[in-house]
Amino acid sequence: MKVLAVLCALALSCAAQNVAKRGEQVFAKSCATGYCHGVRGASSGAPRLAGRGFNQAYINNVVTRGIPGTGMASFATALPPADLKAVIAYVAMLNGIINPEAGSDGVEVPVPSGPALTGEAARGQRLFKEAVRGFGRCSTCHEVAGSGISVAQPIAQVPASVAAFKALATPDVKTGAIGDESMPVLVLSDGKQGTLFYDLTSAPPVERNAEPGSVKFSDGSAWRHASVIAAYNDAELAAILAYLRGAIKP
Amino acid sequence: MRFRLILLTSCFLLTSSSPAQDAGPTHADWPHYGGTQFSWRYSALDQINTGNVKALTPVWLFQTGDYAENLQTTPIVENGVMYLITARARVFALDAATGREIWNYRYPEPGRSVPGFVGNRGLAIGDGKVFFGTKDNYMVALDQKTGRLVWRVNIDDARQCGCNVTAAPLVVKDKVIVGGTGGDGAHRGYITAFSTKNGRLAWRWYVIPGPGEKGHETWKGDSWKFGGGAPWLTGSYDPALDLVYWGTGNAAADFYDADRVPAGADKSKDINLYTASVVALEADTGKLRWHYQEIHDDQWDWDSAYEVLLIDREIRGRMRQALVHMNKSGITSVLDRATGELLGVFSVPEVQTWISGITEDGKLVGRVEPKLGKTTTVCPTAAGAKSWNSMAYSPRTGFIYVPVNELCEDITPNNAAADEGQNYMNGAFPLKLAPGRTTYSHVDAWDPVTGKRAWSMPYKYVLLASMLATAGDLVFTGNPEGEFYALDAKSGNKLWSYQTGAGHRGGSATYAVNGRQFIATSTGWHVSVVGGAVQALFPDQDWRLGSTLVVFALPELSQ
Repeated sequence: MKVLAVLCALALSCAAQNVAKRGEQVFAKSCATGYCHGVRGASSGAPRLAGRGFNQAYINNVVTRGIPGTGMASFATALPPADLKAVIAYVAMLNGIINPEAGSDGVEVPVPSGPALTGEAARGQRLFKEAVRGFGRCSTCHEVAGSGISVAQPIAQVPASVAAFKALATPDVKTGAIGDESMPVLVLSDGKQGTLFYDLTSAPPVERNAEPGSVKFSDGSAWRHASVIAAYNDAELAAILAYLRGAIKP
Repeated sequence: MRFRLILLTSCFLLTSSSPAQDAGPTHADWPHYGGTQFSWRYSALDQINTGNVKALTPVWLFQTGDYAENLQTTPIVENGVMYLITARARVFALDAATGREIWNYRYPEPGRSVPGFVGNRGLAIGDGKVFFGTKDNYMVALDQKTGRLVWRVNIDDARQCGCNVTAAPLVVKDKVIVGGTGGDGAHRGYITAFSTKNGRLAWRWYVIPGPGEKGHETWKGDSWKFGGGAPWLTGSYDPALDLVYWGTGNAAADFYDADRVPAGADKSKDINLYTASVVALEADTGKLRWHYQEIHDDQWDWDSAYEVLLIDREIRGRMRQALVHMNKSGITSVLDRATGELLGVFSVPEVQTWISGITEDGKLVGRVEPKLGKTTTVCPTAAGAKSWNSMAYSPRTGFIYVPVNELCEDITPNNAAADEGQNYMNGAFPLKLAPGRTTYSHVDAWDPVTGKRAWSMPYKYVLLASMLATAGDLVFTGNPEGEFYALDAKSGNKLWSYQTGAGHRGGSATYAVNGRQFIATSTGWHVSVVGGAVQALFPDQDWRLGSTLVVFALPELSQ
């Protein structure tokens, strides 16, 4: 990185140099690839980013919020905060802003807060959404910290123990009957426009929309949360609880 | 003389009876993305033909109003009603004779944090419903009569997998089957089937076998977990064999293989199964019946995800139930669709530098592989000797009709580690024009049995729209400049053209209502991904955006 070294000597602190270097790595992986912005922002399909005269505010906005209706996604949650800041600094440098610092002009960079998880909580987070578990993972029905599908209501209270976790009551799950079909359901809305509910017969749950008045509900169901978490062993469930305790603020 | 012989062979074909001969062509309806489940994009309608096509005229058009990424869809027609989907999943039911809107449905705009490209290549119908996939990775079913939502199910968390659906689903019996994107991401691709009735999961087939499954040993370490292979287009179905056919994507990382290929692997044998392959799955269970890997260790993003044409032809003296499949390299395989046996192979681009050739039994010769720390120039490109748009097949000529592009690229790989749901191409590949040429694409007619090109019509820019063939011996397609045109299926001569006003990047269909044949085509250039990448090669061109369906017919008096 000869260019960076010279810049460092002229204008950048060594800390800033490290940020820009990290930014170049993040850019190479997340922005330069595919049909996107190309090596050093020279374009590989998506617009060229180098030497475009972008100002800091514009770069902050576009990187963090994306451009709706185009292939440019929001990176606010896709990248860890340090990487986000670094890549903004790098794109600024490609546009001749030689002392780049994200947010330096007062534009707020919305990044998720909180330190990275460690130990059992980190393991629990991985288990919660582990892709190899397919539809058997927690995130099939629960959204926590921006990950997962919010079929269930947001988790408000974390069970105190694995035993309590397994004994979890689910009074919201009812039995729904349409014609000769009967199934465990979570009702989303029931009104003159129709009935919207989740069919929990099998994973993944299916959001269904029935004609008004066509579904008959009764309390209780054969559905058990304990059955759907049975794919996890006790140690794994304990780790998931450790993760949830940190992630869910009462 | 060769040409006449081929035509005689074709006449013989017409008189022979075979399942594909009956199931391949469409008639009054255009019920599937590929015409029929055999994916020929060929209609038996011949009211519009070589003798009268000059009189073809626009009769109605439909402005979708969705200009996000323009119109890539192939319209579906059943019983005089057309179903159309736009980039942002706005769905329309139209009177197919007049364009009058019957109903519309607007899928809620996903949040900004959902990754992936905007775009939708088509919908499917069946069981009284209209099915489509979404940017936020749901499969959705609407009531076909009213457009009312019936059910919706999440396929995977788009924010985590970096995947979603841009392809049209395929309805097979009581199931709707769909492939997803994410083939160039750190993601383990799969095909998923849902019950058409209630959206419940029927089966999921992972492209990459898990621990203990056959083929798992073709992956290094944990690379199988995020090894790509997503089957991002639409498959085919043969009811007689009850098999579903699908092409799978390349392995990820695309341009850097050291993290996924086991040490000492033999590159003349299967690697990273079942990526870069054509697979046959049992329709009821999703169980793998056979596979054929086209590119062992695909390091060029040749992506075998493209359409699969099911045809019956006499090959070396024996009638075969075959399939024809092309990947982005332009290598085209002809397989026995009951067994997966290779029956023939040929390559379509004129400029080909990534290999020196391919043997009769499908072995690649003289592979030019990308290398870490180097820039390697190859032709054709990851944008595709043919892009994702479909070819067509006419049983009357026996030819497949293919839009072929002549481009090259400079691949510079990197060795970044997999990061779930994030881009995992591991390389940049700026495109450039193939050297020493003045035209950079051509529409070709190839006989898949002989592997010979019958004719080729050059075009100066690129061709990225699907083909349509008809029993009127016509082949239709459009170009980026906005011209929609008809070629003589036997000679390639241009017989008719019409300037639609915007570039072509979608599909065409033909159908009949009350005995009148219509030709419908999607217009609107695609500004990003391949469309944007190739447009940058022609800086003096300003291909027009849009999102309009244009429909043609013969004037009523001349019928």
